[in-house]
Amino acid sequence: MALAKASLLIAVLLIWQFAGLPDYVLSPLEIARHFVQALGSAELYEHIGASLARSLPGFAIGSFLGAALGLAAGTARWFDRMLSPAVFLTYPVPKIVMLPIFMLWFGIGDLSKVLIIALACFYPVFINAYYGVKATRTILVWSALNMGATPASVFRRVVLPSAAPMIFAGMRVALALSFIVMFAAEMINARTGLGYLIRIAENSLRFDLMYVSLLAIAILGYAGDRLVRTAHSRLLAWQPA
Amino acid sequence: MLLNRLLPFLLVAVVLAIWEAAARSGLWNRLLFPSLVNIFQELVLFFTNSAYLMEAWVSLYRALGGFALAAVVGIFLGMLMGRSKLVAGMLDPFFSGTYAVPKLALFPIFIFVFGIGSLSKVALVFLECLYPIVIMSYAGARSVNRVLLWSAQNMGASRADTLRRVVIPATAPFIFAGFRVAVPVAMIVVVITEMVASADGLGYLVIYSLSSLKTDRMLAVVVVIAILGYLLDKAVVLARDRLIYWEKLDTYYV
Repeated sequence: MALAKASLLIAVLLIWQFAGLPDYVLSPLEIARHFVQALGSAELYEHIGASLARSLPGFAIGSFLGAALGLAAGTARWFDRMLSPAVFLTYPVPKIVMLPIFMLWFGIGDLSKVLIIALACFYPVFINAYYGVKATRTILVWSALNMGATPASVFRRVVLPSAAPMIFAGMRVALALSFIVMFAAEMINARTGLGYLIRIAENSLRFDLMYVSLLAIAILGYAGDRLVRTAHSRLLAWQPA
Repeated sequence: MLLNRLLPFLLVAVVLAIWEAAARSGLWNRLLFPSLVNIFQELVLFFTNSAYLMEAWVSLYRALGGFALAAVVGIFLGMLMGRSKLVAGMLDPFFSGTYAVPKLALFPIFIFVFGIGSLSKVALVFLECLYPIVIMSYAGARSVNRVLLWSAQNMGASRADTLRRVVIPATAPFIFAGFRVAVPVAMIVVVITEMVASADGLGYLVIYSLSSLKTDRMLAVVVVIAILGYLLDKAVVLARDRLIYWEKLDTYYV
């Protein structure tokens, strides 16, 4: 069974390695060779650092605001009526279109990119926190009130742990989104970072550099996702992953 | 009571009022902060100009084309994965492993393979929309109630009948949840790819207006993109409520 699962991947890799490829597609071994070589040089780490310095603060700010406001909106009805329609209305809108406006207001440096990543990460976490609070089982709340808990205590001990799994699911989506938006913002306008690296690699026809940065961002995305899943299973040990 | 009814519009009205006040105050350059009146004028110009409407149609057609392809392939793959453990074992690691990878990074390669026209953008939209649809269809096909399947077999249904009358209706809510995630993704990917590498479409219009320092036109195009995204989402919800009238599934994610 395990062999069958791996067979597809192995077949694809073998075909890729030995097929007659056009210039711009490198075989897996060549990509691996270039990647190992790039790991030794400082250039790749500079760009990775620059990219992460934008996406992680943006992810943190957006997730924090999304969780806080989503929890508030799920709890307080007047806040819900004020904020939720605006959030749900603007949810289908591609947030990346705000990038030119943000560049106008906050300059073409890092601040505009961090803010647009924060904006994009806000939505999944807000929606998940909101629905997480709404899905708290009433019987748990009634039990807590019965045993003399104050509303603050009910929120902290019942609502928050109940909404936490959905918030983590939202953060997984937000993390993937933060990489995408960071990448897009860097491809459009940047002077450092992985998106910028891919753009200049494409412009100067340096395919080795292009595939190396592609692999770097794939590894970053996968590692980030696994990290959030690990944090989820550690902090919320009572829940199945 | 009246305040309660008006509360949703209160936030929007306050934000718009602050914007207009800031724009007219003269603190910032007119270019940085276009007045709402100018933006509205450009919006009207947009809808009465056939060249601009053509650009909107180009973006829409790329997004919907890629989404339609992804829907066909995604539903097929997802349901295949849901009904066959072998296929699920082979494809699921691929999908869940590469889910967190920004597929936008492949766009330069797509430009090399498919050229700089519409096809590279449609291909990227296809790839990006495939994931939510496959993941949700797989989840749906996997969780068909076995009792329903046994009942159908008991009553003498063939494999094809079971598929058509039991599996597909049971999976349909999940498929539409996948659609609801995939449609905004399609719009986002189209706009991004047009901002990065294109000579037509709404994303290109945004960049072009910004480069010509016509910020009121740029914001008008942003509003148009927002309206388009909102209408597409409403269309999916409408289709879902008509086709799956027996179940109101209100989840955005699994």
